[in-house]
Formats: sequence, C-alpha cells, structure tokens
Amino acid sequence: MATPLLSVTDLQVGFATERGLLRAVDGVSFDLAEGQTLGIVGESGSGKSVTAKTLMNLLPSYARVEGSVMFDGRDVRAMAAERERHFWGVEMTMVFQDPMTSLNPVKKVGEQIAESLRVHLKRSRREARDDAGDLLQQVGIPEPKKRLTQYPHELSGGLRQRVVIAMALACSPRLLIADEPTTALDVTVQKHILDLLDELREERGMAMILITHDLGVVKGRADQIMVMYAGRTMEQADTATLFSEMRHPYTEALLETIPRVDMASHSRLVPIPGSPPDAVDLGQGCPFAERCRYCSASCLIDQPSLEQHRQGHACACHAPVGTDAGAAAHAANHETGVTPAGLDMGTFATAVGEKT
Amino acid sequence: MAGSGAIQMRDSDEVVLRVESLVMEFPAGRNQVVHAVSDVSFDVCRGETLGIVGESGCGKSTTARALVQLPRPTSGTVTLDPGADGQVELTGIEGEALRSVRPRVQMIFQDPISSLNPRRRVRDIIGEGLIIWQDQHPDVDVDARVDEVLRAVGLDPVVAASRRPHEFSGGQCQRISIARALAIDPEILICDEPVSALDVSVQAQILNILEEMKERFGLTLVFISHDLSVVRNVSDRVVVMYLGKVCEIGNSDSLFSEPAHPYTRVLLASAPEPSTVVDASEVAIGDEVPSPINPPSGCRFRTRCPRVTELCASAEPVMRKMGPDHFVACHFPGSP
Repeated sequence: MATPLLSVTDLQVGFATERGLLRAVDGVSFDLAEGQTLGIVGESGSGKSVTAKTLMNLLPSYARVEGSVMFDGRDVRAMAAERERHFWGVEMTMVFQDPMTSLNPVKKVGEQIAESLRVHLKRSRREARDDAGDLLQQVGIPEPKKRLTQYPHELSGGLRQRVVIAMALACSPRLLIADEPTTALDVTVQKHILDLLDELREERGMAMILITHDLGVVKGRADQIMVMYAGRTMEQADTATLFSEMRHPYTEALLETIPRVDMASHSRLVPIPGSPPDAVDLGQGCPFAERCRYCSASCLIDQPSLEQHRQGHACACHAPVGTDAGAAAHAANHETGVTPAGLDMGTFATAVGEKT
Repeated sequence: MAGSGAIQMRDSDEVVLRVESLVMEFPAGRNQVVHAVSDVSFDVCRGETLGIVGESGCGKSTTARALVQLPRPTSGTVTLDPGADGQVELTGIEGEALRSVRPRVQMIFQDPISSLNPRRRVRDIIGEGLIIWQDQHPDVDVDARVDEVLRAVGLDPVVAASRRPHEFSGGQCQRISIARALAIDPEILICDEPVSALDVSVQAQILNILEEMKERFGLTLVFISHDLSVVRNVSDRVVVMYLGKVCEIGNSDSLFSEPAHPYTRVLLASAPEPSTVVDASEVAIGDEVPSPINPPSGCRFRTRCPRVTELCASAEPVMRKMGPDHFVACHFPGSP
C-alpha cells in the first residue's frame, strides 16, 4: 500500500483542569489515503472535534499534545512549532459547524475568499477577486458576481456554508476537514451541502474527514468510519463492514437509539442509559461499561485495547457484539437482571406501548 | 398551503383542541408584515400525538406559541373541547378567565437549560405552578406532588430537588422541564423541539419518557420537530408545514408510506437515510426559502417545487382528500 496522505499515530490530547488532567483524546490512530473520506462519529464530548482541531493546529497553547501526525511524509507537529504559514489553509483546510461564526461579519464575502488567495498564492487583488467569483460558482452559488459584494448577514444559512466551503477550497487543499458541516442547517439544505462536498472531493481528488454525530450522514458518504467515545476509538472499519457486522456495543447502541423514517409509529427506541462519563475521572475500565448491556466484570477493571480481528476492522471491547463472548456476557446479565456495573437490564426494555 | 380549506377538520366528540384559520403576523417595519402563519387549521383528538414538521421559518414554533396565546394570534380561533358543554375559546377570553384555563395546556421548550431559572432550586421551579394552582385546589400537597413528578421522569427527588439547574446535564434538565409541565396535571402538552438540543443517546430517553408520561397522565401531545424520523416515531397524525401554510396533513402511516405533497417527498428524500418510498431525485430546487414578508403567490412552495407549473403561481391549491384521514394542498399531488 502506498504511503497514506495523513497518518495519525497514538494521538493524545489533554487539558489541565482544577480537578486534574482532562483526557480529551486518548490514543487515536488512523490513516487516510488520497481521495478517501473518513467519517468520525461520536456524541458531544467524545473528542471528535478536538481531534480535528489538533490536526489543524487550532488548539490553545496550554493543550498537551502527544503522538505523531504525518501529512504526506512531513511531521505536522514539528511544523506547528516552526509556525509554518503556508500549510494550514492551503494543503489542509477546515469547514466548521456554524457558518455565521466562521465568517467575518464586517467584511464582504468576496474579500474574505480573496484574502487567502492573496496571502498564500500571492495573487493580485484583481486576480483574487476573479478567482473568488469562480469559486462561488463552483460551490453552486447563483449570481456569484453579485454575492461577492454582499456581507454574510445578507445570505441564508445554506449559502453561508457554501461560502465557507469556497474559502476552504480556495487554495486547492489536499485534505478538507468538515466538522459537523450541516448540523446547523435544514435537511433539504443539508443534503445539498453534503452532495456538494462529495462532488468536489471527487473532482479534485482531495481527501476528506467528515465529523458528525449522525451515523446516517456518513453511511453513504464515507469510505471508512471511526466511532469515538470518551476520547477513545471504539470501533474502526470500512463503512460497509461497519454497518454489516458491527462489533462494538456502543456502535450498536448508537444505531438502535436513532429513530428512522421507515419505522412504524410508536416503535420502541432502545435508549442508551445514563450519560457520557466525566473525562477527568475516567477510571480504569472501559469508559462505556456503565452504559453497556454486554458489560462483564473484567470491563470494569481492565480497559480493552483496540484490536484488529481482521484486516481493516478494529474494535476495543472484551465482549464484542456477534461473538461468543458477547453473547455470553449479554445472557449472563440478562439472567441476573443487572450488569456488573450496577445497571438494571430493565432500562433497555423501557418499551413504548408496553404497559406496566 | 401551500393551500387553504378546512376539509381536514374532523367532527368528533374526541377532539380536544381545534385550531381554525390561525393567522400570525408580525410588523417588520416600513409598513411591512411578516406572514409567519397564514390560515392554518387542524385539530387534535384526546390521547393523540399530533406532530408538526417543517424547516426553520415554516411557522411551526409560532403555531405552538399561538396555541397557548403567547402571543395572541392575529386572527383565527383556538378552542378547547369544541362542541362540548365546557367549550373554551382561548382566543376569546382574557385575564382571570384565561389564567384559570392555562394549567390545562402546558409547554416544554427546545433548550432545556435556558428554560429553567438558574438561580432557583428544582423543587421551587417545579412547585411554583402548584403554589399558584393551590388557589383553586386547596388540598394539593405541593412537596408530595413535586416528588411524584420527579420520580415519574426518572429523577430521585432526594438528590435532585434541592439542586439548581446547572448541576444537571441537558437531558436531565429536559426531564425537569417535563416534570414542571406535568406538575399541574395538564391535558395537553405542547413540545417545541424537545429533543433537538440533545445528544442522540439522550434523545431516545426523553422520547421514551414523553411516551410513558402520555400514557400515565392521559396526555394529548402536540409535538413539534424539524426531524422527520423523530416525528414519525412519536406521532399518530402529522402536519407538514412550509412558509406558514399547511402542505399536508394525515395519519402518520399513510403520510409516510404515501407522501402526496412534493414538499413532503422532498423532505423524505433529503433525510440522511432517505425513505424508500420516494425517489432520490426528488429534491428541492435551491436552498433559499422565500421571505415570509413577501411570500410567493399561489402555492408558497412553487419557487422550489420540482413539479411547478403556471397554475401554481396563479391559484392557491385547496386542501383535498387523498385517502381516509389524509389531506394535501397541491395541484399535482401523489407520486410523480
């Protein structure tokens, strides 16, 4: 296999707090090849955005970062120390969740796009403005010439996000990181934006990291998916494998908890009981153990490591779904009615319509 | 509408809430008017969950607020128990009379944290309504009732009651909001995007609680959301709104299995995991929703509709029947 475009190995990010070290990202590794899309899925606080910000060198200076990030054979973290100017925003760019806060409200859209062209590619004012118009056209904005002279508040949410995408694409990046690019948008617009990102990726052969809390968003669009929880990688696989033979109880729980349009009315949702753990005080076991149906005694004391059970599918669990160990743990918990973590198995049967 | 007409109204003793020709307009300066809700009519039966779905700016939240007269609608009527002896027209009463009816209709909001007073303890937040309510029900034991509703939503009163909202997570705050709404024993609970601000894992907990509470306290729900799959999950009947008008209304099963309005079909096709009953090519034209200050003539969806014709610009479609309890306001309904 050729060297991947981006290779992250054992990334650790911590923040010192009054109560101790908060481990926002704990041992994340992945490779991303040119032209591929990686989906990172997780709830709020799972470390997905911190991972993206680490790659973009956007973390505050007090963050403690360890591990290696290699981009096309170059060490990104060493570049960060040297304050490399023409890397972020040129070869690696990012699109944020809220398009309004990532645009400057007192600057015309055209100037904002032209700025990076002028700084990084040394274009003249006129060239940069013409290029900005072309970029707006490429991201599907009607009347691009007119839009160049408008301010962000004059545009709708969908158009603003297209402007942000145009800015990110200005210097033809090789990697685009999209952090919840459509969460603030309506569904009809969401589809347009995701389709646009996909088209642009294909056209330009760039790699993309798509961060979302919605497994449905990455299902049809990512080549690989990484599921994160409490800063750790829970499961990592190519998309088809993940959906056909998911192994981690958290992935399974995430999928079961989301209502789908083709389910009947009032059909039962399986909730994930409790709430995500405190990242300062994670304890020694598996971070998901307290909310897990498959929890066994060893899960509470021994943190499972991310293991590849076959090429391209890794999972960090002692009793994965679909294995004998998983079935045994689930059956044992069902028998006693309570998991070793003290979770009442009845919580999973809070059936809608099931009368008590 | 997309269209006007009132063929979707039901004539049944079971109807507890009837909304007729509801109009909400707000001044926008320079003699302009925002037409937030224009001529919306629907009804809700006892024990039913009515889902209202649509994109931002379609008037779904404004409709919800108009139901509880906050603020009062520009015109139209909202009636509790229509046809019965105790019929109350909320839009026709005010002052003490309105205040005495308010406990019957309660509301929960999107952002659970900002809808709770951060300086008060949970017991006081939930108990406040009860203390006011005591004027009419002198025998109510406030503390016991607070404990009861807290337990009902899955919080331990011993631990939770003396804390303040900031000590709870978003999901727990939403449980407190539900407990507050339930404390004074309402008949109708209006939920305005109750799960949109929550993580997916917590969303299911709250949806399940609402469903349980509905059964336990005999509630009728009006559930507003922009998320089709959530609405599909909780609703018996669904109203699809676009730019202040009702596009389609019908029972959940028939609306989701045979969506007739092009806008409903667009919504279903745009979901991250599109529904199988629509074709992936049925998408809206452009991202831009027209301004509610100057809405399009005829059918309001025509500027983004994949099936638009000249008729759509000149005539506003009237609600027509597609099946038993399934109505649509479109000149060219059904699958393409």
